[in-house]
Amino acid sequence: MGSSQVNYRSGLWIDWCPGCGNYGIVAAVYQAFAELKLRPNEVVVVSGIGCSGKTPHFINANGVHTLHGRAIPFATGIKLANPHLKVVVHVGDGDLLGIGSAHFVALGRRNLDVKVIMHDNGVYGLTKGQASPTLKLGVKTKALPNANIQDAINPIALAIASGYTFVARSYAMNTQHLKEVLKKALEHKGAAFIDVLQPCVTFNDVYTVEYYNKRVYVLEEGWDPVVREGTEDEVRNKMLNALIKSMEWEDRIPIGVFYINPFKSTLEERLDQRFEGAYLKKPPAKQSISYEGKPLLSRDMFKEVFSRFFVEVEK
Amino acid sequence: MLEEISFIVGGPQGSGIETSAVVLTYAFARAGYGVLVDREYFSNIKGRHSYALFRVSSKRVPKALKYLTNMLVALDAETVFTHYKSLKDGGILVYDVGISLKKFDAIPSIEDELRSRLAKEFKDLGLDGTVESLANYLRSRKNVFVVGLDYSKVIEEFSKEASLKPHQASMYLSSIPTAAVTTLTGLRESALSFAYMRRFNDPKVVEENIKLSKVVANRVRRVYDFPPLLKNSEIGFNEVLVVSGNDVVAMGKVVGGLRYQAYYPITPAADESFTLETYSRFKVGDEYATVVVLQTEDEIAAITSAIGAALAGVRAATATSGPGFSLMVEGLGWAGMNEVPVVITYYQRGGPSTGLPTRGSQTDLLFTLFASHGEFPRIVIASGDHEEAFKDSIEIMNLTEKYQVPGIHLLDKFLANSLMTLTPPELSELRVDRGVVTEGGDNYLRFDMSKGPVSPRAFLGSNVIMYYTGDEHNEVGHISEDPINRINMYTKRMVKLELMSKEIPEDFLVRLYGDLDADVLLIGWGYVKGVALEVMDELSRGGDISCAYLHLRGFSPFPSRFVAEVLKAFEGKNVVALEHSYLAQLSKVIAMNTGFMIRKEIVKFTGRPMLVDEVLQALIKIVEGVSNREVLSLGE
Repeated sequence: MGSSQVNYRSGLWIDWCPGCGNYGIVAAVYQAFAELKLRPNEVVVVSGIGCSGKTPHFINANGVHTLHGRAIPFATGIKLANPHLKVVVHVGDGDLLGIGSAHFVALGRRNLDVKVIMHDNGVYGLTKGQASPTLKLGVKTKALPNANIQDAINPIALAIASGYTFVARSYAMNTQHLKEVLKKALEHKGAAFIDVLQPCVTFNDVYTVEYYNKRVYVLEEGWDPVVREGTEDEVRNKMLNALIKSMEWEDRIPIGVFYINPFKSTLEERLDQRFEGAYLKKPPAKQSISYEGKPLLSRDMFKEVFSRFFVEVEK
Repeated sequence: MLEEISFIVGGPQGSGIETSAVVLTYAFARAGYGVLVDREYFSNIKGRHSYALFRVSSKRVPKALKYLTNMLVALDAETVFTHYKSLKDGGILVYDVGISLKKFDAIPSIEDELRSRLAKEFKDLGLDGTVESLANYLRSRKNVFVVGLDYSKVIEEFSKEASLKPHQASMYLSSIPTAAVTTLTGLRESALSFAYMRRFNDPKVVEENIKLSKVVANRVRRVYDFPPLLKNSEIGFNEVLVVSGNDVVAMGKVVGGLRYQAYYPITPAADESFTLETYSRFKVGDEYATVVVLQTEDEIAAITSAIGAALAGVRAATATSGPGFSLMVEGLGWAGMNEVPVVITYYQRGGPSTGLPTRGSQTDLLFTLFASHGEFPRIVIASGDHEEAFKDSIEIMNLTEKYQVPGIHLLDKFLANSLMTLTPPELSELRVDRGVVTEGGDNYLRFDMSKGPVSPRAFLGSNVIMYYTGDEHNEVGHISEDPINRINMYTKRMVKLELMSKEIPEDFLVRLYGDLDADVLLIGWGYVKGVALEVMDELSRGGDISCAYLHLRGFSPFPSRFVAEVLKAFEGKNVVALEHSYLAQLSKVIAMNTGFMIRKEIVKFTGRPMLVDEVLQALIKIVEGVSNREVLSLGE
């Protein structure tokens, strides 16, 4: 499949609410994929459940629309089987940080080269507006019978603590910014997380476009999130800076890259080391497993591999 | 001298009993015997009672175990108290006279329930509750030969012989039972050296253990001056595999081309993944094959990442037990909806809930057949012994890929943890069938309905793009709630049931052992196979009752025609289901598929394996018309 002038729109009618922040997100995806000239057959977009879960269907690339909360482990299996694929995960905030938080943390520990884009709107939209794990304590969005009595997770801080080596925030209504962050994430080697602030026009009457437009500012001058030497001290300082920055909210909300550490090994590299170079050279998806309809192992090879189990009987 | 013997070696968990069992199995295997060993242990790391129940034969490989033993070899007092009733008249007890005065009610690790049973038994027998009084009772009333060794003296003597400091020498304590067994059975020293070398791969350790075994042998012979118990083996093996059920499944997966396994630690499945990881890189021609084995954050990630790997074109599986499978059910449904060949290797243990985490059961047949909401075809097969487990772990990958359905390979803790001497498998008979695979092409449709129920399968990363969704979908893989598409796509999936029934050979799914005109028909699956076949043999030797055994290996698809035909032939005769469960779930599945009701059953749900002697007795009761249902309880 050629990569020049690929149309990344799948052509399906998009059934998000008019004005939904998801339109901005998917537009940024189309642009980022196009600018990086990604081949649709070498990209796999994996999603969970909810409004964000439909994203793969709207993109002209492989799409795997999975279970609520489980997009990351599906993506993990795909990537480990075939590390040459570009694997991008689209998830909602409830999807990722509610039902799927164990997987979110695990991906950080592994630093597998998978990109996670969280559509962060503070509510469960498809089930009509319940509070999500990014809705702050005491906030009452319009569908809630009462104000929220559970506090919000800080997704940026959690990503950093979990070991993600690329952590960023962007804003769905700033497609240009999101596209640039997305491209950086796609070019990063390792687990990347982007928290995308996304107004829900139907169910979130607190975190609205107006709310965000007033507060969102872009991290620029003087902000350097990149680990450049890889020393322990430097990593710790960059992490601490990012953690402190992640706590800014209320009046001013920073968007941009919070933290990048290109020095940490990826899970693919760790496996390749375990397998002494045999993994990346010929990953599982590229291995032949049979010869003329028979297993590859002959009796002699079987005996060699499993010699520890063989007992020669002493006559 | 005997053709075969049964014996128990027991002691506290973590004290080396596990190692003794492995070493003894290697040693008997080296000397050409057929061996089957069940390992029983608590959910505990150190301190609770564990034991290995052996059956060793000079004539054949035993298929099942017996409760009545020729030897009880105890590392501690608890072992003597727990198992004294298993000793045959004329059997041998080996114990540590240093703990002679220990009383059963002063041992904290004995569970209250057993302690009160023992209190009653000892009171009835007029014993004072010490090991010594029990040993005397066994000697005088049960004709048991008691070999009392002073284990601390053994260690003291060994420490001098080997010039080891006392604390170093005491680390060899658990080799005393091993040495007692080899001495009493007449196993030669070279077999024992081989076994220690295989287990520890350290000549120094072998040397010390041989020194210790000589000390033990001298002391045993001072009191036990008879010919060895066991005849020399006449089986004529050249080589055997010494393997557990967990091992053979891992081997089968390697041979069958598995390239991705994800798991979350759980007893009794986790050992399989460790074995697989140990052999996850091996040479094929000039290249290395690699199997990615990933320990995930939970069982949900295990199944879903395996599904992901399968979508990318890799043979992928997970291994788990009941609690883990409970978490995997939603993932199983997704695989059903998306026609993904993913394999779940399922080792049953005692439930519900955490149940008996380290004991066996066959209580999840109905669960695996019906797990998940909605309807979709699946493969469910169950293995009856190590050989079947090896072959089934390969065949289920073929079947799931051929029909593009998820598959469950049912095993149980009994098989998983049993060690045995297995004839190396004949690999040339095996096959790898990946089903209809395509690189794609113009207008590729992942769920193409024009080519029958099984659409040509392209992998993620091939030349085309494809979509998957847990929602009902159209041929592209996009969401569709259209009623007509729903009928067509749903039907496409479901008619695989008929296709699989028609195409998968009956002789793989079910087998009748014995004759259609036998007096009694036993029906079972999984671990009961060996017990049933041994019972058949014993009955045929007795001569009065002829017995056949119908062994089920496939449950989905179910071999209804064959089973119905056999049941028809046995109408009016005794037909008895055997199962490690309360419900005899197999009977329900047979009724559902054939309309035949099986009204007699022998069940066991203590978590311990069925033993030949108790099944034989129960069957005789049923044949004599005394009972229709027998609940077994032998074994500790």
